[in-house]
Amino acid sequence: MSDLSSKPANTPQPQARQVTFRGGGFAPASHRWIGVVVFALLLTLAELGTRQGWISPLTLPLPSDVLKTFGELYASGLLWAHLSVSLTRLFVGALIGASLGVATGVLIGLFSYVRAGLVPLTAALFPIPKIALLPLFVIWFGIDEGSKYALIAFGTFTPTVVATYGAVDNVDRSLIRMGQSFNLSWISIVRKIVLPGAMPGILSGLRISLAIAIILLVAAEMLGAEYGIGAYILEAGSLYDLERLFAGVAILSMLGVTLSATIGLIERRVLNWRQ
Amino acid sequence: MTTFTRRKALALLGGSATAAGLASPALASNRKITVGALRFTSHSGSFIGFERGYFAEAGMDVEFKFFQAATPMAVAIASGDVDYAVTAMSGGLVSLADKGAVKVIGGALSEEKGIDGQKFLVSDAAYQAGVTTPALLGGKSYGITSAGSSFHYMGSKMAEAEGIELKFKPLQKVGAIIGALKSGQIDAWSIVPHLAKPLAGSGKVHIIGNVSDYLADYQVTTVFTSAKNASDEQQMTRDFLAGYSKGVSDYNSTMIDKAQGDEGVQELVDLIHKYVYADRPREKAAKSIINGTMRLNEGAAMNTASLQDQLSWFQAEGLVDQSISLETVIDPSYVQTLG
Amino acid sequence: MDIRLSGVSHSYDDFEVLRDISLDIPSGKIVCIVGPSGCGKSTLLRFIGGLEKPTRGEVLQIGSPPADCLNPLTYIFQDFALLPWRSVRGNISLVLEDQGIRGPRAEAIIADVLTRTKLSEFHKALPKQLSGGMKQRVAIARALAVNPAVMLMDEPLSALDSQTRELLMDDLVSLWSRTPFTAVYVTHNLAEAVRLGHSIVVMSRRPGEIREVVHLETPLDQRHYGDSALEEKQKYLWHLMREEARAADAELVHV
Repeated sequence: MSDLSSKPANTPQPQARQVTFRGGGFAPASHRWIGVVVFALLLTLAELGTRQGWISPLTLPLPSDVLKTFGELYASGLLWAHLSVSLTRLFVGALIGASLGVATGVLIGLFSYVRAGLVPLTAALFPIPKIALLPLFVIWFGIDEGSKYALIAFGTFTPTVVATYGAVDNVDRSLIRMGQSFNLSWISIVRKIVLPGAMPGILSGLRISLAIAIILLVAAEMLGAEYGIGAYILEAGSLYDLERLFAGVAILSMLGVTLSATIGLIERRVLNWRQ
Repeated sequence: MTTFTRRKALALLGGSATAAGLASPALASNRKITVGALRFTSHSGSFIGFERGYFAEAGMDVEFKFFQAATPMAVAIASGDVDYAVTAMSGGLVSLADKGAVKVIGGALSEEKGIDGQKFLVSDAAYQAGVTTPALLGGKSYGITSAGSSFHYMGSKMAEAEGIELKFKPLQKVGAIIGALKSGQIDAWSIVPHLAKPLAGSGKVHIIGNVSDYLADYQVTTVFTSAKNASDEQQMTRDFLAGYSKGVSDYNSTMIDKAQGDEGVQELVDLIHKYVYADRPREKAAKSIINGTMRLNEGAAMNTASLQDQLSWFQAEGLVDQSISLETVIDPSYVQTLG
Repeated sequence: MDIRLSGVSHSYDDFEVLRDISLDIPSGKIVCIVGPSGCGKSTLLRFIGGLEKPTRGEVLQIGSPPADCLNPLTYIFQDFALLPWRSVRGNISLVLEDQGIRGPRAEAIIADVLTRTKLSEFHKALPKQLSGGMKQRVAIARALAVNPAVMLMDEPLSALDSQTRELLMDDLVSLWSRTPFTAVYVTHNLAEAVRLGHSIVVMSRRPGEIREVVHLETPLDQRHYGDSALEEKQKYLWHLMREEARAADAELVHV
C-alpha cells in the first residue's frame, strides 16, 4: 500500500474531502474586552430600565445618578476623608494579620511540634465568623481604631496561616536536600530556599486574605466609625439612599480590583522566575 | 365617590371622632393584613387592638410580623410585605417616602412635658468624672444606631440647645449601644424610660436629663403604611387606624389614667406580656412594662410641627435630599394634626 | 581522600533494602554503580554523602580532604536541584555565601567554574531559560565551585535526551582529564557506566548486594561512542543484569 496511485483504473475514484477539524475549544484564550462589554451592557440596561420606568427606583438607582453622587463625594473632599481612614485600617489591619500569619505559617511548616500544637487551633479559629467577635474586640481593644485593626488582622490571619504552611509544605524537598548536601546552615536554608520557594503560595493566599480584609472592613466600620467607606455604605443603607449605597459599593469593588492588580504586579515582579 | 366625601368629613371631625365613627366598619370583609411591630411597649396600641378584637370588629384579619429594628420594617412596608407599622421617622423612612414608597399617616408616641419620657444617660465613668447634666457633655461620645436615627436627632438637638459638640458613634444595634455604655466605651445615650430605668438601677449608667426638656412635643414614633395603601386603600387604612386607636385609648386610660384601677393595669400587663419581654417571668416583665409606660397619641393624632422639625434637621445634616417637603412624607388626611 | 564502606546494610522497618555492602572508592577514580531499579543504589549514595544513616555497618573517610576543599562530599542530582529564582551565577554563589566567600574571591571562583563548564556567557540567565543539558552543567559548575573531594552523582544524565547525554559525557571526560576527581556515579544506563567508570559495581535486585565489580583499563579519553571493546563490556554487564532486571520489573511496588 505504499504506492497510492496504483489503484485499478476501473474502480471509481472515491470522493476526496477535508478531514473534519475537531480539536477546537477547551483552550483558554484571553478576551479581556468581553468583560468590559458585559459591564457596559449591564450598566446601559440598568440606566435604560430605570429611565423608562420598568425598573422601579426602589430596586435600582440610575447608574448616572450614582456617578453624579460619586462626583459630589469627590468634589466635597469627603471621598478622601472616607478613603484615607479606610485604607489606613485596611493597611494596618492586613499588615498585622498577614505578617503574623506568614510568621506562624512558616513556623508550622518548619517545626512539627508547632504544627501539632497550632494546626488544630487554626482549624478551630478559621470558621469563626469574625464579625460575631466584634463586640468582644470593642471591649478588648477599645471602640476606636484598635478594635477595627484587630478585626481585620484576625480575619486575614487564619487564611494567611493556612496558605503559608501549605506553601512551605509544597517547597521542593529536593532543593532543601541540595542545601543540606552543600552544608548550608539551617537559617540559610530557610531564608534562601524555603521562603522564596513558598512565595508563590504565600502571595496567592494573600490575594484571598486581602479580599477578606475588604469584606471585614465594612463589618469593622459597623461599630463606632464616623468616617470610612464601610461607614458610608452602612449609613447609606440605613437612610435607604441607593445612590450613595451603590457609590460606596463601587468604591469597594474598585478597591478590590486595585488590590488584586497590585498583587498581580508584585507576582510578576517577584515571581518572574516561574515557568 | 362616596368614600371621598366621607373621608373629608371625618378629617374635619378630628382624630378621636374618626375612631368613634369607624367603630362599625362600612364593609366587614375579613381582609387579611400584616402589621409590623417591634417588641416594645410603645407598640401596645397594635397588640391591644388585636387581642381585644378591635381589628376583627373592623373586618380585618391581622397578622403580626416582628422586627429587630426600624429600618428593615420601613423596607418591608416599601416591598409590600407589611401593610402597617409603627416606628420612628428615620432618615431611611424619609428616603423611602421620597421614592414614593411609604407615607406617614399618624402619630404613635410623643414626648410631653410633665409625662415621663425618654432619658439622657451617661456611663458611670463619665458620671464619676462630673458629667451630671447634658450641658456638660461637650466633646463626649454619644451612641447612636446609625446616622439619621432618632438617637442621632435627640443628641444633635440637645447639643444644639446647649451649644456643645458631641462625637456620634454609630453602633447599629441598641444592644451594642447598651454594652458600650455599660463598659464605658461611649459616654452618653438617650432611650425610652423602660430601658433607661433598669439600666440606671444597675449603677453602671446614670440618668442625667429628660429628652422632653429639649424637645417638647417630640413626635417619637409614627404610624406609617405604603403610599399605595394610603392613596388606594383608604377604607382599609381608616379601618386599621380605628382599631389601632381603640387599642391606644384603652392603653392610655388604663395604664396612665388608671381608669380601671390596679386590676385594669394588671390585666393589660398580662396582655402586653404576650408580646413584650415574653422570655422573662411575669413579675419581672410587669415591672418593666409599667416602667415603660408613655402616653400614646389618642386617635393616632400626629404633631406635624415636630415632624417638620425632624425633616429640616435631616436636611440640615445632609442626610436626605434638600428638595423633600413634608407633604411628600406624610398624608395628613386620616388623623387630627397637632402643632 | 578515599571512601570505604564496610558491611553496610539497611532496612526500612522489616523491608530489607541493602545487604552487607563493602566497597572501596579510591581517590582520583570514577566508580560507577549499576543495578536494576529499586536495588538501593541511590540509597547507598545518600549513605556516602551523609544524608541518610545505614541500619548497620559504617561509611568511612580515609585521609583528610585537601585544604582548599569547601564541601568534601558534593552531590549532583538527577533533577539538577537549581533554585529557579536565582540566576546561574546566583545558584553558584549560593553555596559559597555560607562558606563566607563573597566579593572578588567568589567572583573568581564563579568565573573559573563557568569557564570550565562553558557557561560564561549565560551567567545572568534564569534556570527556566536553560535547556536540560545546560541546567546540569550549572549543577556541575556549582559542585566544582566547592572543590569537592568526592563527587556523588545520582543519575545525573537520566533526565536528559540521548544526544545531550553524549555531549555531557564528553564534557565530564574532559573535565576529569584536565583535573582528575573522585566520583561515585550511580546510573541504570550501562552505556554511561562503560564510558565513565574506572570500575563498575554491579548490584543485584533488592535486597541489594554486590554481584561483581568490573574494572575497565582503557583511559577515559580513549573511550569513544560506538567503541567495540566497550560494547563487549556493556554486553557482558547486561548479561549479568538481565535476569535481575526482569525479576525486579515483575515485583510489586513497595509503598
